[in-house]
Amino acid sequence: MSDVAELARDGGPGTPDGAARGGPRRAWLWRLPPWTRAPRLGLLSPAAVVAVLVTSAILACAVASAPLFLSSARSAALQQQLAPQCAEAGWPTTGARVAPDAGTTAAQMSGYADRFPAAWAAEGQRSDQILMIETAAGRSGNPQHGIPVDDPSGRPLAQPASMFWRPDALAHVHVVEGSAASGAWLPESYARAANAHAGDRIVMAGTAVPVAGVYTDLFDTAYGSYWCAYTGLFLNPGSSDVPPPALVLATDRQTLFAVAAAGRFFDVSQQVRIDRGTLSVSSAHLLLGQQERAQRAAVRRGDPARPIPNRTLGEAVSRASLIEQGLRGPVVPVAVAGGLLALVLVASAGSFWADRRANEVRLLAARGVGPVPLAGKAALELGLPALVGTVVGWAASRLLIAGVGPADDLDPSATRTAVLAGVAALVVGLTSAAVVAGLRARGTAERPLGAAPRWPSRVPWETALLAAAGWCWALLEHREALVVDHGVAQVNGLLVAFPLLGIAGTAVLLTRFLTLLLPAARRWGTRASPAVFLAVNRLAAARPATATLLVAVTLPVAVLGYTATLTSSSRTTIDAKVGVQLGAERALASTSFVTANARTDAVGTVVQRYDGEAAYGRIVDGAGRPGRTDVQVLAVDRRTFAGTAFWDGSFADEPLARLVARLGGPEAVGRLPVVAQGLPTGETDLLLGQHMIPVQVVATVRVLPGRRTTDPMVVVAADRLPDRGLLTGADRVSELWTNGPPDPATEALLRAGGRAPLVFTEADVFTTANFLAISWTFGYLSALAVFVGVIAVGGLLLYLEARSRSRVSGYVMARRMGLSRSAHLRSLVVELGSVAVTGLALGALLAAAAVAVVYRRLDVDMLRPPTPMLAVPVPAVVLAAALTVLVAAAAAGYAQRAADRADPATVLREDA
Amino acid sequence: MSGFTGTALRKTFTRGTERVHALDGVDLTVAAGELVALVGPSGSGKSTLLALLCGWETADEGTLAYAGTLAGRPPQSLGWPELALVPQALGLVPDLSLADNVLLPARLRSGAGPAEDRARQLLDDFGLTHLAGRYPHQASLGEQQRVAVARALLLRPAVLLADEPTSHQDRGHADGLLDALAGAAGDGSAVLIATHDEVAWARADRVLTMRDGRVSEGSPR
Repeated sequence: MSDVAELARDGGPGTPDGAARGGPRRAWLWRLPPWTRAPRLGLLSPAAVVAVLVTSAILACAVASAPLFLSSARSAALQQQLAPQCAEAGWPTTGARVAPDAGTTAAQMSGYADRFPAAWAAEGQRSDQILMIETAAGRSGNPQHGIPVDDPSGRPLAQPASMFWRPDALAHVHVVEGSAASGAWLPESYARAANAHAGDRIVMAGTAVPVAGVYTDLFDTAYGSYWCAYTGLFLNPGSSDVPPPALVLATDRQTLFAVAAAGRFFDVSQQVRIDRGTLSVSSAHLLLGQQERAQRAAVRRGDPARPIPNRTLGEAVSRASLIEQGLRGPVVPVAVAGGLLALVLVASAGSFWADRRANEVRLLAARGVGPVPLAGKAALELGLPALVGTVVGWAASRLLIAGVGPADDLDPSATRTAVLAGVAALVVGLTSAAVVAGLRARGTAERPLGAAPRWPSRVPWETALLAAAGWCWALLEHREALVVDHGVAQVNGLLVAFPLLGIAGTAVLLTRFLTLLLPAARRWGTRASPAVFLAVNRLAAARPATATLLVAVTLPVAVLGYTATLTSSSRTTIDAKVGVQLGAERALASTSFVTANARTDAVGTVVQRYDGEAAYGRIVDGAGRPGRTDVQVLAVDRRTFAGTAFWDGSFADEPLARLVARLGGPEAVGRLPVVAQGLPTGETDLLLGQHMIPVQVVATVRVLPGRRTTDPMVVVAADRLPDRGLLTGADRVSELWTNGPPDPATEALLRAGGRAPLVFTEADVFTTANFLAISWTFGYLSALAVFVGVIAVGGLLLYLEARSRSRVSGYVMARRMGLSRSAHLRSLVVELGSVAVTGLALGALLAAAAVAVVYRRLDVDMLRPPTPMLAVPVPAVVLAAALTVLVAAAAAGYAQRAADRADPATVLREDA
Repeated sequence: MSGFTGTALRKTFTRGTERVHALDGVDLTVAAGELVALVGPSGSGKSTLLALLCGWETADEGTLAYAGTLAGRPPQSLGWPELALVPQALGLVPDLSLADNVLLPARLRSGAGPAEDRARQLLDDFGLTHLAGRYPHQASLGEQQRVAVARALLLRPAVLLADEPTSHQDRGHADGLLDALAGAAGDGSAVLIATHDEVAWARADRVLTMRDGRVSEGSPR
């Protein structure tokens, strides 16, 4: 029964005595003023209320998510920049290199150092102190790197020392011999060179210091994260041939200040420990402000000190803002587009309201009520659900960002902006819903039966989208797809706009063509089974709805396919570039010779890297003799190389294992078989040091793992090279490539003859945080695609709900005529399933086309091989397909259930 | 052919705290070949009686028995050739053209082919040929009603129940529909129509009056 009829019966304006007849159940409603009555009246159409609530929630979620996402991305960019660095990199730190005047006492120095914790305490922060002496007055009185040291016998040592104090440093070394006495702890190799033991006394910068203990050199241990920020004190990253000054640990501040008083230099650092994993940019700004004030309070004008605050945190904050700027370009337009889509859905809900209250609004329209008052009525009735929906949507966006966003640490300003966006969404959404409801209500009353579709529905508006896509592509032809600003890669907005516009325009155009085939399909359906007949007729009867549904499926599938593939491809390409550069996930290099053994085999593979020369026929000098070129020669372990080295099928025409197997092939005329990149097949002579090795290039590849220069590369079996004694003088580094954790690999390398290993990781190749803008841009687009999918599901439910009444009465009669329940369910499955499958196919096709056009332009570093690689995210694609089919099946089940629950006697007594 | 007999049929609904006796001991018989008009004011129980006769409602008390070839079968088991109906809400399938709606009972049973000529004839008889390709929402309520009657007549049912089949018609079309229903009765169908149309009373073989859930023979006074 219509609302008007019901209200009239219950005492509406048409029946003044209605209250007396139908009881006073809702009569009180009509005594309320319109603005109070309308919200209550709206509740009489629960389906419309739910529709407006859900669509308003989707709209609010769409527009509020952008500022929240950008803030979340900024926080995550900051956190991810700090994550691969030592923990101390993110800690606010004040510090100074102090060069006290001659005659300054240890007590005075101690007093000066105490200013630093006091300054932090004034900011309300607890802090930890670190003291170091890296520079000291030499024997001639001039400043030098390291402290001059005399052994217990008074003999000067060639290697100077540095001194370090941190409250718990001794708990993080391996003790060789020790005591509870105050003084200095020497590294084992240094103690051996000085012939010093606990209890002896050495002289540092002219000051006698008791030897309190001896510990294992840190470079001979897996030193762990405690020493991460201080590796420069015991490793020389430039060369392991020249050791840095020996690291002497002071047991207490007094010992260090006694040496500093004589050496006339010391460094002080005062650190505030923070959790860098939950740091937001605004909280970082707060800490940086405190750091600046504490630094100024500790190091005053005229002090004999050079301030050394922590600059890493500030740089990370600047870079995070740059990454956010890179995201803003593509994300804001995408959010606006998503918001517009959601707005269409809210407007559709307004139309749904007009349908649900068709009898009432038709009556009002017939009595001369215009579209504006009808829109006002709709706004008053739908205002409350729209408000609730907006609040729900805003909360959903906040929860979504917290759950699946880059980080859950948001700036307060972002939350404020998101609230304003939510309010704007409410106003615009409600206005749209009301306007559409008013127009639709008026249009329904005035439109003659059987009228042809209006002309706007015949105009192919989507060609405008295609033209815009073409324009973006033309602009992109002359611009970089990826822009690198201060090392931070940013996606050109055109790269986002072009495929999205293209996909949207093509999807609509293809759908328009496909729906033109529906009348023919309908004719064909007359010869098919009842289930197919009914399904085809339903699709053909509601052509605009079918087209909308098809677009609603095609668009999210295409956008998700496109963005997920590009995200996956750019990640794969970056990984591949890192893998090619390092050889594996991690490479540990040592200048001392490392011999493979069971322990190294267990963690990876040992590679000897030689800088050599190659002489071969194609390169000729001016006299026509074979020329020479620099080459990198990798002597590899045939048993373990293929299992550890990074490899992709695109690198060569045959697998790495087969290439490695060819290294063990027979020598051709005394020539070793090698695999090369950048050299032609055939005979070549390799010059390693002074030793000439004739080789035969048996296979060439496009890319080899471990490529660190632009020189050609040659891979040879290590066990077939001449004895290493013959290769003395060759420029060689031993490397252990591993895909496992660093500590076991370090341990294995040290036990296999390596010393002071330099560890190369992804962070040494790329600052991966610099590429976050790329993955997050496409990640946001993927989220948009999922969001469009949610909109599609919402639209599908609205579509089903709007048609349920007529569908159910038809179903009841068809059952009477002999239609079985299963045949009806099959017809629903065919109807919705055919749209889903067609949408999936179209979406996949469009995504593949867009990816094919774009992915080669997404090269994050053209100088490093390989070129962009295509990686199809199969799980995401399968999941999207499965979800689409599942939603179609669930919708069919939902529609069937609604039909099953209908009471035939009631349904068929309702107004036609 | 078949008719039906209802004896002491009772049906009570609960509306809030109120109990409504929609049928209060109804006795009626409609024989094969008979056109019976069921008249009475709104709310007197006519539609409830029709719903009960076609098996969408069940009686709280009393018996309903179909006769002849339908003897012993409950109404909900009867197919369209045995029992066809024109409900008040018409129940046209909105996604099918008017012609396909008329043909639907045949298509769902054994295929539309054999019934196409009769469907065409019915559309022609009811002045719907030019609208055959339209969807229900593109036709007027009266046109939709004629389609619903044509659909009911398509398979020449043994029993035909119609709820206000002429309510949206002008006199000319109403007479056409009544001719068709009388023709169906003449061909042996048992036809019961609930109607306010006094012309229909005159065309019926018998008139039953319904008031407050009870049926009596004859027109209302």
